[in-house]
Amino acid sequence: MESFTAIILAIFLPFAAAIFIPLLEKFLKHRIGWFAAGIALLSFALIGIVAPEIIHGHIIQHSIEWMPSIGAEFSIYADGLAMMIGFIASGIGVIIMSYSNGYMSHKEDLPRYYQYMLLFMGSMIGMVFAGNTLQLFIFWELTSITSFMLIGYWRDKPASIYGATKSLLLTAGGGLFMLAGFILLHTITGTYDIATILQNPAIIENIKAHPFFLITLILILIGAAAKSAQGPFYIWLPNAMEAPTPVSAFLHSATMVKAGIYLVARVHPIFSGTEAWFILVSGIGIFTMLLAGFLAFRQTDIKAILAYSTISQLAYMMTMYGYTSYHEPGLGVAAATFHLLNHATFKACLFLVAGIVAHEAATRDIRKLGGLRKDMPITFIIASIAALAMAGVPPLNGFLSKEMFYETSVEMGHIIGGPFTFLIPAAAVLGGVFTFAYSIKLIDGIFLGEKHHGHLPEHVHEPPYTMLVPAAFLAGLVILFGLVPSIPVHNIIEPTTAGIVLEEVHLHVKLWHGFTPALFMTVITFIAGLTIYTRYDSIAAWQDKFNARYPWISVNYYYDRIVDGAKGSAKGFANFTQPGSIKLYIYAILFLMVILFAIPAFMMATQVFPANLNFDIPPYEALILTLMVIASVAAATLHRYLPAVIALSAVGYMVSLVFIYLKAPDLALTQVLVETLATIIFLLVIARVPQTFKEKIPKTTLIRDIGISFTVAATVLVLLLNATKGIAPPFESLSHYFLENSVKLAGGHNVVNVILVDFRGYDTLGEISVLCLAALGVYNLIKSRGEGE
Amino acid sequence: MTTLITKTITKICIPLVSLFSISLLLAGHNNPGGGFIGGVMFASVISLTYVVFGLNYTKSFFNPSWDKLFGAGLLIASLTAFGAILYGNNFFRSSIKFVDIPLYGEIELASATLFDIGVYFVVIGTLLHIFKNVGEDK
Repeated sequence: MESFTAIILAIFLPFAAAIFIPLLEKFLKHRIGWFAAGIALLSFALIGIVAPEIIHGHIIQHSIEWMPSIGAEFSIYADGLAMMIGFIASGIGVIIMSYSNGYMSHKEDLPRYYQYMLLFMGSMIGMVFAGNTLQLFIFWELTSITSFMLIGYWRDKPASIYGATKSLLLTAGGGLFMLAGFILLHTITGTYDIATILQNPAIIENIKAHPFFLITLILILIGAAAKSAQGPFYIWLPNAMEAPTPVSAFLHSATMVKAGIYLVARVHPIFSGTEAWFILVSGIGIFTMLLAGFLAFRQTDIKAILAYSTISQLAYMMTMYGYTSYHEPGLGVAAATFHLLNHATFKACLFLVAGIVAHEAATRDIRKLGGLRKDMPITFIIASIAALAMAGVPPLNGFLSKEMFYETSVEMGHIIGGPFTFLIPAAAVLGGVFTFAYSIKLIDGIFLGEKHHGHLPEHVHEPPYTMLVPAAFLAGLVILFGLVPSIPVHNIIEPTTAGIVLEEVHLHVKLWHGFTPALFMTVITFIAGLTIYTRYDSIAAWQDKFNARYPWISVNYYYDRIVDGAKGSAKGFANFTQPGSIKLYIYAILFLMVILFAIPAFMMATQVFPANLNFDIPPYEALILTLMVIASVAAATLHRYLPAVIALSAVGYMVSLVFIYLKAPDLALTQVLVETLATIIFLLVIARVPQTFKEKIPKTTLIRDIGISFTVAATVLVLLLNATKGIAPPFESLSHYFLENSVKLAGGHNVVNVILVDFRGYDTLGEISVLCLAALGVYNLIKSRGEGE
Repeated sequence: MTTLITKTITKICIPLVSLFSISLLLAGHNNPGGGFIGGVMFASVISLTYVVFGLNYTKSFFNPSWDKLFGAGLLIASLTAFGAILYGNNFFRSSIKFVDIPLYGEIELASATLFDIGVYFVVIGTLLHIFKNVGEDK
């Protein structure tokens, strides 16, 4: 199969499968999850087909025409980076969707769940292989939307709704900043194509020298930080834990939150090697790493601990991608990439364990859990492997990438010099210390110690194999990558790093590489981590106390105030613009009409009343007009509904007579029909209300309404008099064009009809759509009236 | 409103007005008429039936789902617009064909007429959907 076809299939197969899931569910019932897992496996295999080519250093590029008018093509750019995250998205996808078969109750709305899961997976794969920035943006926002739907999967839980809304506002909102950054990039380079930019050193030099460089970088980084829960945007991830646990494992630890990191890696060659890149990217990274690692202490829900740990671990990667210098722009890239892969394995595994614990012990509260090692020994072993990998204990994979993190931190410190020689490695070690402490807390809090019999079921069982095997598989990967690092390094990390730094890369990662500063730092990390762990609970208590005393020192506080404030002002605005009184609406419409008609009329008319008016009115016309005036006055003054309605419709019929007299049969026909229908509706309505007006109209209202009527009438009169006299310039009448071309272009002799269905067919299509919506609206209003009020 | 006179006249009106509305629709391209007028005319004769014979009695022998009709109309209209793309033209590009039918003579087939049929259905569907539901409302 052609490489391009394989990638296209890997992206769109999940989308296509998602469409058929509701149908297939009729036959497969609860086994639909295995179908979804199979699709994920297919996507994984399809990426596997192209993998050898990419590993050998070839970049697959192909594009097809998409939006030629703005110079955007639908293109695929498959390098090592795209391949790695594509593998993670589909591979973890297989594991998660298999696991979901055990986790999700058969009573849940399974088709919806797997549909969203597959849609997400397709969007994620589509995003990483995107060859131009607009395409990347579209798939990027699709992952935000599917994430929103999955967090809000349990639609009745207020916490789910809150978490879903928050994640959408922040991640999709951040995506808009990113789009602005891409547009600026287009302004600088004149292209949306990623390959064109990456493969032309001249273009990259041009970007770095451009005055928009900094603002472009900041806009793109806002998108990345919001998506990967970095800096002040971290607040959405803990609330996203309201999603079903497999979703958290998939989207909010292994894949979607990596999108921001992916973006940073993708634009790395464009912006790196500058001070701004180091200060912004590593700056956000170090700040978030320390803050989130520290805040993990006071969490009591094991998923919340994992959420803060994810934020902190993503910050590791952010920090490392930020490490850069003029001579070696990609200093931390290999380390960051390796950690990205490792984190996907051990963190997804930990989430699966959290799901198992919640499933079997019916609680996720770490204060209630404990002593489960005897009840679920296999889960205990799996969890320990994953948590120790996160803590950075040899010989697991987390140890290797953490060593690389320390190494690069020392190098970066040396490059900057001054106090930073010490400060940057110190920050890295402090991050490692926090990680170590909460990793130990997870094992200790859930599995070690005494079992709290009051809170836990008497016998906690091992989960079914559908849940155990996926977790065990990930734990196996954790050990494998740790013991034989050459497998992932040669096949995944080297091509990925090559894709980011744009040159060939050879890495040597070993478990033991002598007494280096990094090893020394690791030893410090373990000792300090254990020391802090003894004070774990008092630190958590201090955090709680601090939070209670200063509630305003928190990003969430401001987020809630802004969102609540926006809701309040939206309500106020709606009440102002939609007061619900028909009379007020009519006043508003008439007021605007007078303003909009009067301004051009007075601006363009040479005089208010044209001088050469023709008062030679033929008798027919005079008769019709007289009758019209009489009927109008009757309609306004009659005190009973029925005669008033008849008088009103008489006015309408007179108008149609005028149309006939003026040789406009189409208009006349329409007028007669509409008038007839309107009268029928009136008659239907007044059959149900009292036959006479009950209340007397107050004098002030009467005077006001008469005043309004005269103003409107005067405006229309002036306008009409001037219009018929042809106040043409600066506008030319369109009617000549229509008259000339009606037969020529549209083959119709009825110009009015040709205008409606041909020249302005698009308008008509819009109008009939509105008509349909109106009919549905009326229907809903009538049918829902009994329920509300 | 339900005197013998109105009932008798309505009975005569129904077939005449219905046919007239269709002729208005088809004639619209070259003579007075068109989908909107034809649709309103058809809707008015049906609503006349509703008023004269009563909604419940009319529904007992003639009760189409008007919502489906306007849905179909919207579909026809948009498909006509999209159809141009299939022939490699721009969205909404209209086309005309003259076909010679034996014994009758030449007739003009315009894609605009197809679009107008969509409009016709939408107008009938929406108006009668509203009438029926307002009438059913207690």
